[in-house]
Amino acid sequence: MNKVRSLKISISGVRGIVGDTLTPQLLTAFAGAFGTYLGPGPILVGRDTRQSGEMVGNAVFAGLLAAGCEPVDLGICPVPSIQIRAAEVRSSGAIAITASHNPAQWNALKFISAEGLFLNGYQADELLDIYHQRSFTLVPSSEIRNVRRDARAIPGHIQRLLRYFDADLIGRARLKVVLDSCNGAGSLAAPQFLRALGCRVVEIHTTPNGIFPRDPEPTPENLTVLRKAVVQHRADVGFAQDADADRLAVIDPLGNPIGEDYTLALATLFVLEKHRGPVVTNLSTTRAIDDIAESLSCPVIRTKIGEANVVEEMIHAGAVVGGEGNGGVILPEIHYCRDSMGGMGAVLQLMADHRKSLPQILEQIPRYFMVKQKVDLPPDRVSPLLESLERRLAAAGKTKLDGLKLFWPDACLHVRASNTEPVVRIVAEAKSRRRAQALVRETLDLIAQLAP
Amino acid sequence: MRPLKIGISWVRGVVGETLTPELLVDFACAFGTFVDGASVAVGHDSRRSSPMVHAAALAGLQSCGCSVVDLGLAPTPLVQFAIRSSRLAGGISITASHNDAKWNALKFIGKEGMLLNSYQSQEVMDIYHLGEFRKNPWNSLGKVQGMADMSERYFDYLLARLDVASIRKARFKIVSDCCAGAGAGLIPAFLERLGCKVIRLNDEPDGEFPHPPEPNVRNMKGAASVVKSVEADLGISVNADADRLGFVAEGGNALSEEYVFPIVADYLLDSTRGPVVSTLSTSRMVESAAARHRRKVIYARIGEGYVVERVLGEKAAVGGEGSGGVVVPKWNRWFDAFSTAGIVLQCMARTGATLGELAHRFPRYYLLKGALPSSSERTYPVLEAFRKRYHENSPNLEDGVRVDWPDAWLHVRASNTEPLVRIIVEAEAETRARDLYDQSIDQIARVQAGRGNE
Repeated sequence: MNKVRSLKISISGVRGIVGDTLTPQLLTAFAGAFGTYLGPGPILVGRDTRQSGEMVGNAVFAGLLAAGCEPVDLGICPVPSIQIRAAEVRSSGAIAITASHNPAQWNALKFISAEGLFLNGYQADELLDIYHQRSFTLVPSSEIRNVRRDARAIPGHIQRLLRYFDADLIGRARLKVVLDSCNGAGSLAAPQFLRALGCRVVEIHTTPNGIFPRDPEPTPENLTVLRKAVVQHRADVGFAQDADADRLAVIDPLGNPIGEDYTLALATLFVLEKHRGPVVTNLSTTRAIDDIAESLSCPVIRTKIGEANVVEEMIHAGAVVGGEGNGGVILPEIHYCRDSMGGMGAVLQLMADHRKSLPQILEQIPRYFMVKQKVDLPPDRVSPLLESLERRLAAAGKTKLDGLKLFWPDACLHVRASNTEPVVRIVAEAKSRRRAQALVRETLDLIAQLAP
Repeated sequence: MRPLKIGISWVRGVVGETLTPELLVDFACAFGTFVDGASVAVGHDSRRSSPMVHAAALAGLQSCGCSVVDLGLAPTPLVQFAIRSSRLAGGISITASHNDAKWNALKFIGKEGMLLNSYQSQEVMDIYHLGEFRKNPWNSLGKVQGMADMSERYFDYLLARLDVASIRKARFKIVSDCCAGAGAGLIPAFLERLGCKVIRLNDEPDGEFPHPPEPNVRNMKGAASVVKSVEADLGISVNADADRLGFVAEGGNALSEEYVFPIVADYLLDSTRGPVVSTLSTSRMVESAAARHRRKVIYARIGEGYVVERVLGEKAAVGGEGSGGVVVPKWNRWFDAFSTAGIVLQCMARTGATLGELAHRFPRYYLLKGALPSSSERTYPVLEAFRKRYHENSPNLEDGVRVDWPDAWLHVRASNTEPLVRIIVEAEAETRARDLYDQSIDQIARVQAGRGNE
């Protein structure tokens, strides 16, 4: 049973444990399916720092070469750098080798389009169909290409960031930053970027060796070393990345995590102060986004959970900023991708612009308390739960876009089935912690009552 | 007919058809499991498909925990030397040797740089069929590291064993044709270190073979005409992975590849003890070399793996095949165009004989080789027909059917590398050779048409 669960093939890619389920045979086949899906042409391949990355890379090269594609090896680089490079050069797509925030024994393939976007549901379905049908393109020897190297992904990404942010302004603020890259792909990009912005940088965990000194997910409990370092170095801010540098957590000068949802809140404030326009985020992200947007007369559009959904809506609505509450900030002027370094730039320039400390800026933003919980529940019991929740709790508003979300003037509750596990996720947010906790408790009680 | 062949020490197939990346990863995993995750060497020839095969082999080996000394583009003998000199557990050479460009293969090499013998190969196949491969966890996967100076180290090794002073003094002018294979650049570099002046043909290892990568008379025409026009002392032509070679004599006379082994044997037997190991399909010329030195000739099955194993088992002075592959066991455990070229140059330098003169020391035989396509179900009836037909002559049945007469011999066998039946005939008289050969072709055609012995 354990073995079955450690391999996940879904629309977000193929993910598994190296030495167990994520075998080179499986990886080669998946790369062959992707090469078949895209047809001949250059396909960029980048990876995070995981020690299994080299083996996974070779398996991917074999599958792509056999299908007649030209793999372009970007080496170790952040996922956003891969996405930006894919859109910038003439490519037919890209593969990111990273299990993102999963622990070190995991790895994964994530599939990216020629536009540098993760495959959407329809595209991913087609890829999976090809994989399952197992009839991959195999070109004759004369059409087999070679692996080409390209070292421009990170420099190109940084250049683009530096064009977007005001490095002189940030530099004049002489901000001191402690950076924790989790020895991940961010190690090769973030220190350089922050120094180019004129920051004084204290680096911890920036050796890109794939030996994660902490769980790579940048949640408060995983950031104790960074939190202490921020206080000890009297820094203005602390930044934590996950292994592939798409997500960002921010630590205030007192060593407190501001909460991953507030990473996006700060970025939203920064962008909207410069350019008014629509904001897109998912249903579970903090209401602070709505408050910020409202104060600047901008609309907020909520989508289903998942980066692809957010990005799709951003493009459609012409959003000026977007992202998700897990620390994934999307600045479309840079690229439609979650980019921890874009998030860093936004926070730093906001501080420089306002000539204020991070806590002072956060004071301007309404504070909500968020309580998150997940409970085991078989998928067939989810919709009875949602129906009775809807009946029981008299809400001022609701939406069923993704599970059930109920609104009150002071609070909201979002209950939905997870995309990846047989659990329901409960997120309550309110002006008071007590109210948020009460909403979660009520939901849990209902689940207990509904149990057979 | 599926163009995938699994033989002693290798798996060979057509890229784009049967030699899929998944199959290659599986075989690399089987080999990595066979060596228990120990360190290995990998190199590849210049074929267009080699990068794909190479990536698949690395992924499979790494997943088994095998750290890889990656030689990149390298002739098979260099991979074998790296294994032996670095005391590695084995390795894989990615090359379909003399097969044409659409083929590729994994050649499995064991300890000491020797191709796997039949028992070891069987074990690899058993692991492959079981499908239970080593799976090392993420933190003990194999690492890949390059090794740049391996060719210089190999040249040093060989130069320390050759009479370099004599060869340099002779100042040979040599035309080299590496057929755009893995030997490109390296064969000329080796010859230059021996003080030769080298005219390089097809010396860009881009895998665009200008002629089939087999050093036989037909494929050496280009080299032969250059030898003639530049008045070179000789020409050297190697196959795609530079384990075998052929010679062009002075004046542009391309010698049959059958001459390589007897010339080397004749010279080495002057100074080396032990019998000679040949194969059932090799010219009798080597027998006259052995007879001159009163040595026994022992017959091994065809294939480097069999020949080298037998050479070591019999403590032979030299072993080889009529295809231009020669093993000199006091130096190497493999067929090698580099040492073979070096020995022949040393022989010429010391004796003052030209290549043509060396060739003329052997009795003149007429040798005809051919091959006819034959699917696996047709091959047995063909061989059976020959066995019956020559029953009276007590044929040797070790590998196909070999029939001996005082003035001639005939060998019919299934190819190890392709879906073919191979016929080889040698006789003192040209007409006799031609008759035997034509009769054999007719015989095969009759069996394949379902008419048997008529």
